[in-house]
Amino acid sequence: MPSGMRLLLPVVALGLGAAAAPAVAQDNIRVGITLRMIVENGLRYGQMTKEELEAVNATGGINGKKIEVILLDDECKPDKGVANVNRFIHQHKVHLVIGSTCSSVSMPMVDITAKEEVPQVVPHSTNANITKKGSAWVFRTAVSERFYASVHAKYLSENVGKKVAYLYTTDAAGIGFAKDYMSFMRKTYQTEPVYEAQMQETDLDFRSHLLKIKSFNPDVLAIGGQLDAIARITQQSYEVGIPSRVRRVAASAASNAPVPELAGDAAKGLTFAAAFSCKDERPVAQQFVKLVQEKYKVRCPDHDFSQAYETAQLVKLALSRASLKLTDAALADDRRAIRDALASIKDYHGLASGPISFCAEPTPQCRDGNRTGILVEYTKGGKDYDMRVLARVSFEPDFGLDK
Amino acid sequence: MHPIVPWLIGIVVLLPLPLLMPNAYQQYIVNVILINIILAVGLNIVKGFAGQVTVGHIAIAAIGAYSSAVLSTKVGLPFWLALPSAVLIAGAAGAMIGIPSFRLEGAYLALATLGLAESVRIAISATDALGGAIGYQNIPPPFLFGQPLDTHASYYYVVLPLALTAMYFSFSILRSDIGRAFKALREDPLAAAACGVDVRRYKVIAFVVSALYAGCAGSLLAHMSPGFIHPNSYTITEMVTLLLMVVFGGIGHIWGGVIGAILVTIIYDLTRDYYQYQMAMFGGVVVLTVLYMPKGIGGLIDQYLVRRRFNAIRQVKSNAA
Repeated sequence: MPSGMRLLLPVVALGLGAAAAPAVAQDNIRVGITLRMIVENGLRYGQMTKEELEAVNATGGINGKKIEVILLDDECKPDKGVANVNRFIHQHKVHLVIGSTCSSVSMPMVDITAKEEVPQVVPHSTNANITKKGSAWVFRTAVSERFYASVHAKYLSENVGKKVAYLYTTDAAGIGFAKDYMSFMRKTYQTEPVYEAQMQETDLDFRSHLLKIKSFNPDVLAIGGQLDAIARITQQSYEVGIPSRVRRVAASAASNAPVPELAGDAAKGLTFAAAFSCKDERPVAQQFVKLVQEKYKVRCPDHDFSQAYETAQLVKLALSRASLKLTDAALADDRRAIRDALASIKDYHGLASGPISFCAEPTPQCRDGNRTGILVEYTKGGKDYDMRVLARVSFEPDFGLDK
Repeated sequence: MHPIVPWLIGIVVLLPLPLLMPNAYQQYIVNVILINIILAVGLNIVKGFAGQVTVGHIAIAAIGAYSSAVLSTKVGLPFWLALPSAVLIAGAAGAMIGIPSFRLEGAYLALATLGLAESVRIAISATDALGGAIGYQNIPPPFLFGQPLDTHASYYYVVLPLALTAMYFSFSILRSDIGRAFKALREDPLAAAACGVDVRRYKVIAFVVSALYAGCAGSLLAHMSPGFIHPNSYTITEMVTLLLMVVFGGIGHIWGGVIGAILVTIIYDLTRDYYQYQMAMFGGVVVLTVLYMPKGIGGLIDQYLVRRRFNAIRQVKSNAA
C-alpha cells in the first residue's frame, strides 16, 4: 500500500470516530428546527421557536413528555438545509421537523421528509410549489404566495390604478412577488406591465431603471426582493423624482424592521402584504408584541416573528393531541400520529390575521393552513417607524390554484 | 506490483463501509466527503501543481451539475450517460476559463476567474429554464438493473469507485510527463518555456483536467437524493471552503486535497451546532494554517517522512561505524 494511503487511514478513522452518532435521549419528543439564522432577526426567530417549545418542559412537558429541540442554521442554502434535515431524521431521530425560512431550502426538505415519512411544518417559506408537491407530511403556517399576490394586487388595482412598473431582484422572493403580481393583472384586468426589469441581489444602484420608470408615469411601483434591495429602491425612487402619488408596493420582506429604518422618510407610504402587524389591536397580538419587546428587545415584531411563534404553538397543540409511545420501535407510528394530529387542527385562532386550518389530503387546499393576508402601509419611516393596516383579506382554500 | 493494485484493494476494503455506519446520516456525510475529494483533488491539480490561481472551480462544478440535471430531465439521458456528458461539457468550460491564464497570473487571474464564476451563478439564477432562483428539482437518481440508487448507502457505491478512480488518475497524471510539466510551470513559467515546456498548452490541460473533476463532482451532487440543485450552493463561500480543503490538506501535496476534503467536511459537520461561530472558526483556521502551517497537513506529513528517512540513514551509518 502506498505510504500516503497508509497515512490516510488514521485521518479517516479519526474523522469517522469523531462523527460517531450521539446518543439519542429516549422518552423525549425530539424536534429539529432549521432556519436561516445568518441575520440578527433570524437568530431570534430560531431562538424564539426553540424557547417556546422547550417552555413546556418547566411545567412537566406535554402529557408528561419533555421536548428536546435541536436548532441548526441553514444560511438559506439548500445543501445545508438538506444536510440539517438528514441529520435530524437519521442521527437525532426527530419526531418532527420545522423549517425553513427560504423556499429554496424548504423545497428539497419536503422531498426528504416525504420519503422518510417525517412531519414537517414550514414556518416562513411562501413559494406555492412547497405544498403542491403532494407530500402528505408537509404543513405550512406561513401565508402562501398564491394568496399574498392578490392581497395587494386587488386592493391597489381598485384603489390606486392599473399602470404598474416592476423592478425586482433575482432571488426567489423578488421573482415570485413580481411574477404573481403580473399574472394577477394579466388574468384579472388583461393589463401588461408598463415597465419590467430584473436586477441582481447584490446591486446597489437602481437609479437608471427608476429614471426610465419615472418617464412611464405609472400608478404603482412594484418592488420585489430582499429587505436591503427594497429599502434601496424605495429610497432611490424619491431621489430620481418619482412623485409620492405613485404608490410603492413591495414584497413581504418589507415587513422586516430594517426596511423602514434603512429607507428613512422614503418608507412613508410603502405598502406590503403580510401575515401579521404589530399594530394588530387584538389582545393576543398585543400580548405577543409585549413578549417580544421584553424578551428579544424588538420594538415591533414582524410577521416572521409571529409565524415562528405560531408554528411553535401549533406544534405544541398537535403534540398534546397525538398519542405518543416514544420508543425506538414506535418512531414511525409516533411520526404518523403527529402528522394526523396536525391535520386535525381546524380554525385555530392565534396571531395570524385569520384562522388556521389543516386537513388530511396532501393538497395545497389542505396544507396551506393560513389563508389570510393583510395589507400594511408604513405611515412613518426611520428608527421610530410606524404603520397601519389598510385591508385584511381571507381566501378560499383553492384560491390561486389551476382548476 | 502494478500501481493499480493498492487502489483495487482500497475499493475492496472500503466496500462494506456503509454497513459499519450507525445511521444514514453518516452514510450521507461519507458521500459528501467523497464528492468533496473529487472537487479538491481537481482543484489541487490546477492550483497546487500547475500553480494557476483560480477561484472559478466552483462554477465548473455548477456547470457540471446543471448540465447533468438538464440532460437527465429534459433530454432523458440516464445518469450513466448524463454523467460523462456533463464531465465533457465541464471540460470544455474549463478550457474557456483557462484562456485568460495565457495573459494573466496571480491575483489578476484570480479576479478574472472570480468574475467568470459569478457570471455563471448569476446566469443560472436568471434563467427560468434552469429553475432560476427557485432551484432545479426532481433530478432522478441513477438506476441499476431497474432499481433506483436513491438511498445514501446505495449511492455510496456510485460515488466510491468514481472518487477512487479520480484519485488514481490524479496520481498517474502527476507522476507522468504532464505532471512534471505542471510543476515546472508552477515554479517558473519562463524557465519552463526555456526548457521546452509549451506553457499555453499545459495551462489549458491543467484547467481542462481540473474541470473534468469538477464536472464529475457537480453531476454526482445533482443526482444525490433529494435531486435538487440551487445557485446558492455555488457562491464564493463554497469556493473558499474548497480552497480551505486544499490549503489545509497541503497545497501541491499529492494527498493534500484528499486529507483536506475529509477533515474540512467532518470539522464542518461537527461544528454545525455552533452555527453562530462557525464562519469565524473557519476563517481562523485559514489564517492559522497560512501563518503556521503553510504547507498544510500534507507538508507536516512530508516533513515527518523526510525526518524519519534521515534518522534511518543516520542509524544505519552509526551502526556501520
